[in-house]
Amino acid sequence: MSLAGFSLQNKTALVLGASSAIGRAAALALAEAGADVAVSTTLATQREELALKDCQEKIRALGKKSLAQTIDAAREADVQTLITRTVSELGTLNILVNAHDLPFAKPFADITPREWQRVLEVNLTGVYLACRAAAEPLLSHGDSGRIINIVSLLGERGMINGSVYCAAQAGVLNLTRALALEWARSGITVNAIGAGWTEGMGLLKDAHMQEQLVRYLPHKRLAQPHEIGEAAVYLASDKSGFITGQTVWIEGGALSHL
Amino acid sequence: MSVLDKLRLDGKIALVTGAGRGLGRAMALELAEAGADVVVASRTQAQIDETADLIRAQGRRSLAVTVDITDSTSVNAMIEAARTEFDQVDILVNNAGGATKGMFRPLDTIPDAHWQLGVDTNLSGAVYCCRAVLPHMVEQGGGKIINITSGFGVRAAKNNYMYTAAKAGLINFTRALAINYTEHNVQANLIMPGIFPHDDPELIKFWRGGKFIPVGRVGKDDEIGPACVFLASALSNYMNGDMIALEGGGLAGGQAPCGFAPIVPLEEDGV
Repeated sequence: MSLAGFSLQNKTALVLGASSAIGRAAALALAEAGADVAVSTTLATQREELALKDCQEKIRALGKKSLAQTIDAAREADVQTLITRTVSELGTLNILVNAHDLPFAKPFADITPREWQRVLEVNLTGVYLACRAAAEPLLSHGDSGRIINIVSLLGERGMINGSVYCAAQAGVLNLTRALALEWARSGITVNAIGAGWTEGMGLLKDAHMQEQLVRYLPHKRLAQPHEIGEAAVYLASDKSGFITGQTVWIEGGALSHL
Repeated sequence: MSVLDKLRLDGKIALVTGAGRGLGRAMALELAEAGADVVVASRTQAQIDETADLIRAQGRRSLAVTVDITDSTSVNAMIEAARTEFDQVDILVNNAGGATKGMFRPLDTIPDAHWQLGVDTNLSGAVYCCRAVLPHMVEQGGGKIINITSGFGVRAAKNNYMYTAAKAGLINFTRALAINYTEHNVQANLIMPGIFPHDDPELIKFWRGGKFIPVGRVGKDDEIGPACVFLASALSNYMNGDMIALEGGGLAGGQAPCGFAPIVPLEEDGV
């Protein structure tokens, strides 16, 4: 049965940013497809930690192993510790999903150097740190190591007040291509899922503005988080070994627009 | 429903053009694996008969229909034949296309007829198929269109004019479908294959085994099927006008990335 090739049975995944809507959906989809899934959040608020705990419980309810940890994705030691813990508690690491996301938007001239640095640190440098720390376990699997970076369509298009966020997203997008080339013969594929405007996204806090946005979208609706997260199953599976350096856009036609 | 169940295509009717061999056959078989019944079409009866037999051997229904996609009358008859047999078409895979007479020639030596044939084969044919099937998809409440473009649809190549232009045209035609049919629950997306020599030793030699491709190899036909199932399934319901490229990393860095790997340290490190 060829669909068995999509199964992630006996694989271990780590999802950074699993307290976010998309990260959580990706983590649960990977678990549903058979993987053990470690989850982390980068925001140490009570709300985020509850969301993370809930995600971990849902993974365990699917009969899969899981662990949950709050880290600062921009701190090398935190990231290294998380990956070491994942490998020692869940056995190995086959799939790394970078879904951590620090939302931020402000008029360009008002952004302080500290804000600029922090957004880049979490959203871009955090991906670098995770890929670097995960390299050793990922490279130990022959040809089935998988890195999946979640980017937003702001990696491809600009947004007023979005300068530093857009820059970080575009950074992740092109890091995906560069790393894919570098590791193309090492057995790790590096791809991105390009998320369109999605329910629960950190940048969608203003209900009126959201309504304006939705009116402009071809589908006249936001994506549901699972519609983005579930694509991780395909990109994580053995069936996608010839795809690398690519972004799978799931954006309801928004990028076909002018 | 589990995420893997969402990949299932049970009860769906798919139609694949160019299904007699290569990528078309591979996609037809994988759609059948996922549960769909598949109409297989191409110019060559013997080849599609063989594909249809392989599908039936998987326990699915199949119908082989000969078609010349450059002739809209023939395309309309194909869609009618599919609907007569199966009542509906849920998934259309526009895969037929390829090299045509006079390809790989300098532009000033290409006569009108060769240009027209190249564009008809690689663009108009897919347009005719969509035009014939869309009213039925609208009537039945939705559908999936999967157009097979090529890496040459976004990157040019030496003395490659009608193919590269037609495949680029197919990409934006697909985006136009996405914009115009979204309200009818029809999603139109693209698969962009890189170099797939279909196990042909001559072609593998011509493409140097894919040495210039970042992953160091050419594509295998059975790698395209899963992408087709994904785009035909409920997992891709929010994808529209979008593309999945299977090309071993070639488009991420251009066609000559290998061997260029400079090391430039920061000046203050004094290395």
